[in-house]
Amino acid sequence: MPWRPDELSAFLTVQDLSICYDSTAGKVTALDNVSIGIQENELLAVVGESGCGKSTLALALIGLLPVPPARILNGTIEFKGIDLVRLKPTEMRGYRGTQIAMIFQEPLSSLNPVYKVGDQIAEAITIKRMREDGHTQVDTDFMQKAHRVVPPKASKLPRTRRRMTADLREKTIASLKLVRIPDPDQVIDRYPFELSGGMRQRVMIAMALSQEPSLLIADEPTTALDVTTQAQVLKLMKELMDKVKTSVLLITHDLAVACQVADRVAVMYAGDIVETADVYDLFSKPLHPYTQGLLSCLPTGSKRKITLKPIPGSVPDLRSQMIGCKYATRCPYVMSICTEKKPRLLSVQKNHESACYLHGETNGSHTGNN
Amino acid sequence: MEAILETIDLTKYFPIQRGINPFSKVKKFVRAVDGVSITIWKGTTLAVVGESGCGKTTLARTIALLTKPTSGDIIFNGKSIVNGKTDPRQVYRDLQIVFQDPESSLDPNIKIGDSIGEPLYGLMGWSKEAVTRAIQKSLTVVGLPQDIANRLPGQLSGGQKQRVAIARAIGPQPKLVILDEPTSALDASVQAQILALLLELQKEFSLSYMLITHNIAVAEYLSDFMEVMYSGDAVEYGPTEEIMAKPRHPYTIALISSAPIANPWKRNLLQVDIRGEVPSAINPPPGCKFHPRCPYAESICSQQNPKLREISPGHFVACHFVDKTG
Repeated sequence: MPWRPDELSAFLTVQDLSICYDSTAGKVTALDNVSIGIQENELLAVVGESGCGKSTLALALIGLLPVPPARILNGTIEFKGIDLVRLKPTEMRGYRGTQIAMIFQEPLSSLNPVYKVGDQIAEAITIKRMREDGHTQVDTDFMQKAHRVVPPKASKLPRTRRRMTADLREKTIASLKLVRIPDPDQVIDRYPFELSGGMRQRVMIAMALSQEPSLLIADEPTTALDVTTQAQVLKLMKELMDKVKTSVLLITHDLAVACQVADRVAVMYAGDIVETADVYDLFSKPLHPYTQGLLSCLPTGSKRKITLKPIPGSVPDLRSQMIGCKYATRCPYVMSICTEKKPRLLSVQKNHESACYLHGETNGSHTGNN
Repeated sequence: MEAILETIDLTKYFPIQRGINPFSKVKKFVRAVDGVSITIWKGTTLAVVGESGCGKTTLARTIALLTKPTSGDIIFNGKSIVNGKTDPRQVYRDLQIVFQDPESSLDPNIKIGDSIGEPLYGLMGWSKEAVTRAIQKSLTVVGLPQDIANRLPGQLSGGQKQRVAIARAIGPQPKLVILDEPTSALDASVQAQILALLLELQKEFSLSYMLITHNIAVAEYLSDFMEVMYSGDAVEYGPTEEIMAKPRHPYTIALISSAPIANPWKRNLLQVDIRGEVPSAINPPPGCKFHPRCPYAESICSQQNPKLREISPGHFVACHFVDKTG
């Protein structure tokens, strides 16, 4: 085992996870032996450019990979002592949404357009309630029962006119209040299209957090939002994280967003995690040349003061079999070993790992290496 | 300094019909651009920043004569260009646009070389040899290999396509280039390449840019002057450095502090205190359109829409209580 994340506190550990997509043009390696751990009550941001595999990682964690074309080649996802990779789809249901919840980039396409937002949140609350009542096995029967959120008598009415029980309605309003939606008692009866983008994303957060999950995966949650709305939603997420005691895995392409909210950041490049570090360390002394390059790409002032140093070249084709470091073709510090053998993600300093021969293996700090 | 482009009280209203009856009376309008006056000086960059729906793209499209303004005047290169006072072909030659999404602004069935060459035949009326030479030169200037001219857009990456769009825009040797969100579809490392290229081209061909963006960092990097728009109104205008250092309109303050910065010691995002969301452009709030969200709002704000006032040389703010924000 080349590297183990901090075993003591990590409650979700990804070990050597490799995932590929089979396409007519060849096998695309989306994740290449990725190892990462998420700790309790931590906001871990995974940053990288499009196609680096960050969304594939998120989908693998919550068991929503499209199989086929996706294939898990090897690796484990250990969550509270259970390997999620080995679970059957029916068993995975017991975790998805309840213990691991997810919010997506485009809230309009993740909410059901023909149901009122209140009903959609109420459904989630009912499922949680039934689970607490001793329904451990989540099967179709269970799901059907859960959908009966209405009193039996009312269920003969058309769907649009059914009403929830008063107590469920109260709970739903409370969860809308939690995400600071103005006039929750009116919003509860609206359809998703009647809400603004920011409100929709808040509804998604309300729904996800109503389950009190141990892990919330947020895949580009604010990319479709305006900056002032983005600030509100991120602030809310950060506050609720402490309130509900959940960990967050934030997938983003925006380094600045990661920098603003994350506790720890993992940088991905072409299916590899190239660096993970505490947010302060990563932005003050980035170790991996890709992270350094990415940071010098950010416009952080006027053209009179700073000159951007773009990374030359472009991302490699993930269909080709690559030996050695995938960043070697663009790296200013490339050495002969870089094209021969792939560098492993090794601990360089405390809470700072990098996959590069510039440090790590050359200075012999094989922490946690058997 | 000489102005390359000036708009005087430019408005653009879109009528909205209720129902499907084509004869129904048009009652309401989307006030996309609601009386905006801007000036772009020769050889400089003006950034128009704002959130989605604030009218920045409509402003650009109106200036480029892609839609007719409802009222107001546009003076380009010393001449009014609205209502056919100037030959539109002359305007199209001197004023080019780079659109946000290179995917949809390049014809997927036309080879890159022909895409770049088309305005040179049509607008400039050049001969075939001259166009071929110009295509080669444009590709070199934007840093693309020559053989790309024979490829189709589908074979190119996003960054390459945006370079092609830039090459096509600078082909007719324009005086002003409108950049509508030129990098928002691109990754950080590609964005840096395009920004560097744009600066290089500006220097080489002494271009003026009008940059439309929602990204404050990009606007700060590329621009000399900045115009902040909110719901169809210009709320603040001035030199970029001054606005970034000391924004005065409450909305500009909120906008700049909402923009995430890559410095973990300056966590501005979690301190932001802004309520609500952008109002509808059909029924904007009366008076100052920002007043329902504004921490300084008083009764006058809901009655009277403030006009742009010069608070220091070249720095204009539209706010009744600009003294409080200073």
